[in-house]
Amino acid sequence: MNTSHQRWLLEQLPQWEREGLLTADAARTLRERNAVDESQPGLAQIVMGALGALLIGTGLIAVIGYNWDDFSRPVRLLFAFLPLLLTQLFSFRVLQRGAASSAWVRETAALLQTLATGACIALVSQIYNLGGEWPDFLFGWFMLSLPLVWVLRSHAVAIFYLIAIAIWSVNQVGHGRPWFDSPLLYPLLLLGLLPYWPGWKNQAALSISVRWAMTISAIFGFCSVAVFVSARGGDSYGYDDQSFLWLWTLTAAAFVLFPLNRNGIEEPTRRKPQVVLGSLWLLGYGVAATFHDVSEDILSGALHALRLPWCCGLLTVLVVFVLLAAARRRWAVLAIASVALLPLLSFPFAQHKDGYDGTLLSWLATLHLAVIGITLIVLEFAGKKGAPRLGALLLSVLIIARMADSHFSLLAKGVAFIGVGVAFLVFNILMSRLLKQKQATLV
Amino acid sequence: MKTLPIIIFGIAVLAQWAAPLSQIWTHEQVLANGTLIKLKCGAPDPYDPLRGRYLALRPSQSEAPVPAGVELKEGMQAYAVLTTGADGFATVSTLSLTPPASGDYLRVKTGYVYNDKSRIDWPFDRFYLNENLAPEADKWFAENIRSAQGITAEVRVLKGRAVLADLSLDGKPFREILKARVK
Repeated sequence: MNTSHQRWLLEQLPQWEREGLLTADAARTLRERNAVDESQPGLAQIVMGALGALLIGTGLIAVIGYNWDDFSRPVRLLFAFLPLLLTQLFSFRVLQRGAASSAWVRETAALLQTLATGACIALVSQIYNLGGEWPDFLFGWFMLSLPLVWVLRSHAVAIFYLIAIAIWSVNQVGHGRPWFDSPLLYPLLLLGLLPYWPGWKNQAALSISVRWAMTISAIFGFCSVAVFVSARGGDSYGYDDQSFLWLWTLTAAAFVLFPLNRNGIEEPTRRKPQVVLGSLWLLGYGVAATFHDVSEDILSGALHALRLPWCCGLLTVLVVFVLLAAARRRWAVLAIASVALLPLLSFPFAQHKDGYDGTLLSWLATLHLAVIGITLIVLEFAGKKGAPRLGALLLSVLIIARMADSHFSLLAKGVAFIGVGVAFLVFNILMSRLLKQKQATLV
Repeated sequence: MKTLPIIIFGIAVLAQWAAPLSQIWTHEQVLANGTLIKLKCGAPDPYDPLRGRYLALRPSQSEAPVPAGVELKEGMQAYAVLTTGADGFATVSTLSLTPPASGDYLRVKTGYVYNDKSRIDWPFDRFYLNENLAPEADKWFAENIRSAQGITAEVRVLKGRAVLADLSLDGKPFREILKARVK
């Protein structure tokens, strides 16, 4: 249950007590179980605080952009450092007051100081006519802002940092860059947020907005690493797209299996963006692998990727994550993540003198996805937590994909598509009735 | 009050001051003690969302000779040895991998290398202007695009570093010319 649901519940309790729906003891138990941590900022508070700070900060940058060239250099430098000093004093005061400062004040102070830092660097480079690339400017800016996330626990600055490191990494994809100026730095940059991470010395769970920002940032960051390491050697300036596609898939598997504590596992899937987005990619990849031609490309890409140190690192991380997920009995995510490893199973049997035959991988992918789809449906009917509609959707997509890849006549394909469509609709109606029956039983 | 957050905050504050101050120190040194060189250049008027309007400088010399025996590749750092001609304008006479023992030089990045020549990325590429003056600079360039007139970049050079001090036209600061046109 998220904070807004808990607040709603706490608001209802007095009325339910008055109406006799709950005893005083039951209401007290519910209050204790659903106590809202008021030190965590509410969404409206964050938005208003961040908006105010953003307006002031961008206003400051716009004033700098005007270029006050009538003033001497020292006066203009004063313009640069004065806002920085004031925001630093404000942040220090907030830090000094500790828990007495409300969450939105903390957010505002951190964001203001971040923007004042950026404005200061921008103004100095304007005064001295410094050139340079904007990614270098961005790098300096987000590195100088990172400690504010740690000490002020600012969600807004954390989101800024996550967006900035993703943009920086994507921009650094280029041939011949040294590792410290390439996307390979991204994992270290993401680790920079570690003290802010959930579970770090019992810190509170991250808000849903930060989770989404972190997942999307990680997608862009790790995908840019995959592209960077897949650069073709020699005089070729291209990238091996088949290799980095498999590296993306291994990354998606690592996302889905990312270790969670007991509370994290019990949260609904929609509050775990890494599972949602990772699963979507893996299932899409799995369906693509059922096509014979695509599976041959996947095999040749995977073979090339296996020679890359980054791929070995990813596989090592995956092995650790698989063991941890198995220990936590996360069978559903393990089943989905295993799609990424199908090419490895196919290698020993797929090699022939002209290259690789994708037939085995294509059938393995079909079988694997079919088993996942059927399991998701059967679990529901066996009284366990399943996802019957997702299972049915997966089976339908699989049948359509196989039919599209087959040599049957158009008439046969058409009849099969109609059959699948009808079956899907009938299943949907059956599931709706089942759900209604369950609800009626509960009432 | 906990000590560790305060220490981290203190370090962050110091870094936030040190980064721009080190830039200021370096560039003030070059402005105060560097040799003044002049370069012919063109300068259209783009826009930077964070730092406002600027003129994108394009020095007329875009490539320099690579002496025999010096192996340069694209993207390498090299030293451009500067020679001032009879007209008072500086040009890059040669490129080397190590700083020359005497004379003025600049640290540059090499571009495409071909036929004993290399394209060079100059270490300065923008001159910031007040947003009222920038459109006037555009007009000036449009009016003078066909004439032989070019503006002069006045650059201070010290130990390979360069700071663009001013732009001028016939010895008059370009900014003053634009201000006079706005009035």
